[in-house]
Amino acid sequence: MIRRLTRNRLALPAALILAVALGAILSLSSGAKAATRQAGTGSSTAPTTGAPGSGRHVNLTAGGTHFVNTRPRVTPHATACTKDAERIGYKAPPDSGSPQDSTPADLVCSHGRVVRYGDSAITYTLPPSSFIAAGHRLFEENCSSCHLPTAQGSAVAPSLRGVGPATVDFWVTTGRMPAATPLQVQAQQKPPRLTDRQAEEVAAWINSLTPTAPYIPDVHLKGASLTKGATLFALNCAACHTITGAGDALAYGTYAPSLRLATPTQVAEAIRTGPGNMPRFTGNLSDAQVRDIVAYVTEKIQHPQDAGGFGLGGVGPVAEGFVALLFGVGGLMLVSFWIGDRS
Amino acid sequence: MSEHEDAPAPGDVEVLGAAGGAPAGGGPGTGDGHDPEAVRLPAAPADDPHLQEAARHPRRVEGIVGLSFLIGIAGVCAFGGAYVESAGTQVYAATLFIGLFFLGFGLTAWGKYLMPRGPFVEERHPMESSARDRQAMAAALVERTGIVVRRRKVLGGLLVTGLGCFGIVAAFPLLRSLGPKPGSSLFKTNWKKGSLLVDINGKPVHRTDMQVGGLLTVFPKGKQSTTTAQAVDQTVLIRVQSTTLVTMKGRGDWAPDGYVAYSKVCTHLGCPVGLYEQELELLVCPCHQSMFNVRDGAFPVFGPAPRPLPQLPIYFDSTGFLRARRGFDQPVGPGFWERTTIGNGKASAT
Amino acid sequence: MAMTDGRPRTRREARRALGPYGRIQQAVNELDDRVGIAKGGRVLLDKIFPDHWSFMLGEVALYSFVVLVATGIFLTLYYVPSSSIVVYHGVYKPLDGMKMSGAYESTVNLSFAVRAGLLMRQMHHWAADVFVGSIVVHMARIFFTGAFRKPRELNWTIGITLLILAILNGFIGYSLPDDLISGTGIRIAYSILLSIPFVGSYLAFFLFGGPYPGTIILERFYIVHVLILPLIIIGLIGAHLGLLVRQKHTQFPGHGRTEHNVVGSPLFPQFAAKTTGFMLMVTGVLGVLGGYAQINPIWQFGPYQPPKISYAVQPDWYMGFLDGALRIMPSWQWTGWGHTIPWEVFLPAVVFPGLVFNICLMWPALERRFTKDYEMHNLLDRPRDRPKRTAAGAAMIGLLFTVFAASSTDVLANYFQVSLNEVLWFFRVAVVVVPIVTGLVTWKVCVEMQHVPGAVKRKRAMVVSRTAEGEYVAVPAPERPGDEHHELEPEPVPVRIELEPETVGASGTASTGEPGVRRVVRG
Repeated sequence: MIRRLTRNRLALPAALILAVALGAILSLSSGAKAATRQAGTGSSTAPTTGAPGSGRHVNLTAGGTHFVNTRPRVTPHATACTKDAERIGYKAPPDSGSPQDSTPADLVCSHGRVVRYGDSAITYTLPPSSFIAAGHRLFEENCSSCHLPTAQGSAVAPSLRGVGPATVDFWVTTGRMPAATPLQVQAQQKPPRLTDRQAEEVAAWINSLTPTAPYIPDVHLKGASLTKGATLFALNCAACHTITGAGDALAYGTYAPSLRLATPTQVAEAIRTGPGNMPRFTGNLSDAQVRDIVAYVTEKIQHPQDAGGFGLGGVGPVAEGFVALLFGVGGLMLVSFWIGDRS
Repeated sequence: MSEHEDAPAPGDVEVLGAAGGAPAGGGPGTGDGHDPEAVRLPAAPADDPHLQEAARHPRRVEGIVGLSFLIGIAGVCAFGGAYVESAGTQVYAATLFIGLFFLGFGLTAWGKYLMPRGPFVEERHPMESSARDRQAMAAALVERTGIVVRRRKVLGGLLVTGLGCFGIVAAFPLLRSLGPKPGSSLFKTNWKKGSLLVDINGKPVHRTDMQVGGLLTVFPKGKQSTTTAQAVDQTVLIRVQSTTLVTMKGRGDWAPDGYVAYSKVCTHLGCPVGLYEQELELLVCPCHQSMFNVRDGAFPVFGPAPRPLPQLPIYFDSTGFLRARRGFDQPVGPGFWERTTIGNGKASAT
Repeated sequence: MAMTDGRPRTRREARRALGPYGRIQQAVNELDDRVGIAKGGRVLLDKIFPDHWSFMLGEVALYSFVVLVATGIFLTLYYVPSSSIVVYHGVYKPLDGMKMSGAYESTVNLSFAVRAGLLMRQMHHWAADVFVGSIVVHMARIFFTGAFRKPRELNWTIGITLLILAILNGFIGYSLPDDLISGTGIRIAYSILLSIPFVGSYLAFFLFGGPYPGTIILERFYIVHVLILPLIIIGLIGAHLGLLVRQKHTQFPGHGRTEHNVVGSPLFPQFAAKTTGFMLMVTGVLGVLGGYAQINPIWQFGPYQPPKISYAVQPDWYMGFLDGALRIMPSWQWTGWGHTIPWEVFLPAVVFPGLVFNICLMWPALERRFTKDYEMHNLLDRPRDRPKRTAAGAAMIGLLFTVFAASSTDVLANYFQVSLNEVLWFFRVAVVVVPIVTGLVTWKVCVEMQHVPGAVKRKRAMVVSRTAEGEYVAVPAPERPGDEHHELEPEPVPVRIELEPETVGASGTASTGEPGVRRVVRG
């Protein structure tokens, strides 16, 4: 039979293609392992604890509630999709908490790579690979002077390898990057220099170096609970951003910015990636909870119900005292000045 | 007696004046030092400048006052109408302001510009009584007390003692019934050996849940719902890079894999320390900006807090969920008199 | 006009029988028969109130208190002082389904479901802020003009007590809605109580009925806020005003004013008109603040829960000096022999205000001792004439203002975009430097101003007229009484005028057309 095959004209090309495919598969899977080992600073990739792919099904019965934590089990027979999911640090159900908070995830792969995941609350999408080339060019023009053309970082800028598309998209669409000067304590928000699409292109390119979750979130606000969002906001966010989202100064020249201008995507990105000094809320907030917070921010924080008149900046008693003393007492003193004698 | 008594209307001019308060014509000899009534002055003529109104153009001022009153009436009525129509806070305020302010303005302008401008004067009669009266009062106090108490000093002393005792004892129900003695409440929380760490919704924390830089408020399972329990048990769980974690002596196994847990109750005044800066690895209390170094046993590096946040020793149980090894090793929260201090001091790298 | 049988037969005769003042006379007679108010009432009506504008600052406080009581009564009809947890299903949809205390729910209800409820709530809160502010300004006037001297030391003491009670009542009042920000304040108050040596933990547990937060503190705060403290405050205000009426108001030295008289306007009608008008204006101003300047929007803060916290939380302005002191205090504590004294709390929150208020209370005695001046004073000082007292007061104001500003370190750091840590160190230094510099500068300015004659005096207007030849001449405008241009003249002006009941006609001519002069129309 082999003689009959080798006499065939197509035998050699077929054999070559098969060999290449096998080699590609083998190298891709080993390359993923290498990538996770290399992801160093920031370590926003897969947690380094526990055996990779040690999925476990746990039934913890506590007062009638079941918390099931499942992880994709990477076995030699795993598909390329789940292997890629593992590689980018994706946890299914979406890297969040209890599955009872969200509907089962949809994990969409293309050519063995995860391009979309999420649930009914938030969908995380990878920018298309056609963006990569443009992103590379944009990166060279705008970012490489500080981050170096290989995005590995320098003395004045951190490495961008393994930060994920959401991180890049957040920093660029809020205008913080490109930074005006690289050595500020905290990059200022300013009018963005790149458009949203260009930001996604840069994100695509950086992700292509070291594919990592989280992808760029798209928040589906319908069905959000403002009440739950308010409670979550007060518990997790108000400590830095103030309860009215006005922002305030933090330690050593850092500050929590005002939330008045953030888009839903930016809010979700900030929560999931923890930019700068902001904590990173991953597994401890489900996508539904993040959606509730985003809804609260975009609806209540950004459109405060100032039923009582002028909001006085939303900074609370500092402004109120100023008004009381200046306009209240001061105004009435002026009236007294009119009524009484001045001698 | 008046010589100007006109038949129909003698009482036209009531001259506004001020008697010094002493009775007309002087009273029975009370010994006032200054008796202003000794000389009766005639009533001032009607064209005395003190009786003129202060305004230079009284007609004009009258017009302003009248207009002001009209606006005020309109405003007040508008307030009523706005209320009936439920017009909203701003409309109520605007109408109330216009109504009251202009009524008040008119009335004040009337008083200031259209009434006799004065100035008028009255005498201050000295308030002190005569020396004789003073002595009489002191004499009454002393002598009468003396009559009563003489040879009955024991009775007087007993009376005073009784009233004093009552005064002290009366404070008992007023104060003591208000609340329980603190006892050991301030020293204990609900964290025990094996307490499962849960968030405010009761969900436990798995070792894979948080990434480096994450922050979560946790409670012992079962105690996450009542405010009194939350107030003392609240704990902040942070994940830091395990390689940079500095553990104090004896705390090597308190923070597995970079997960550290500190009491969220600030040691300054008890505010929840929920403000975490992950790059600086600093917990900042939002109330008075005490700053705690998370890497270093939550040691205070700035601000008024005197002590580090107590650390909760945690571990992963067999299923990977976080549990407490035991409770806090010291009272959480601000200082108080009975607080003995243990577990202080700067951390050293282990 | 005596009646033969004591009873008038016609209406005209009846009216005549009442005398020249008609039914008013009849009312006065009836009241006087029962209460005997005629003589005292007449004296009261003629009581003279000096007219200087700075004497009206106390009225600002008084009338804001009136507004507080009026709006407060409205609020008590709707507020529920309950710590029990309820689930909100009211008109304000964003909070629908949220768990909150009954107190918070009733406050949200008051703000959105009760007509004019939000206006009343905000007017009440603004009135409280203005009340304390005007007390402080009034107290400063008293201090800088030396009106606290004999015989008014008791009134000064009452006034300081009123200030303390007003601050306390304000703090308790804005803690009643149990929102996130004021709840944090309650937690801080609990910790401040804890910090008191020996008895702190007992005091805290007694007040809260157990460990923090317990379930009774709102109910207790409520009754203190609406009953206990207002009763004491009303009583003290009554005593304060009573003393003022009895001792008569002080006055600045000037034309015709001596230690033994009071120059101004009588209570009725001038002062009554001006002060009633002023009350209406104060209420109006508080009304416009209450509707157009949002204050304490609790629906944006959410209900209080111990693990929640917001940044940029300051107490209301009159508690700001405590908050600032707590922020800038270094972290000293004493531990030993099984005990702890948290100086970092006890000193700024208990000792510091105690010292400030005690210095204020003792000031009359202190000044007497220093100046050896035991005389009665009914004439005020111009502040520049007492440079040391004025400088001391200015230094205290400088200290309190710096500490007050220190309570907004984070807001300032954010606004001016400087490091928070640097701002704090700035205030730590400023709290020492500012009072010293303020005192020195004030003292110097006072001394300088004493030597400048005619400083800050109003100039007499010059009337410019043009003669027929085209020349311009300027002559001083005619003087009006009250214009302060001269030195004291030997004979006192104004003239004391006295009413004789029988001599009611001042001149033969009927002065019916004179405005400002009361006429009695007789039929």
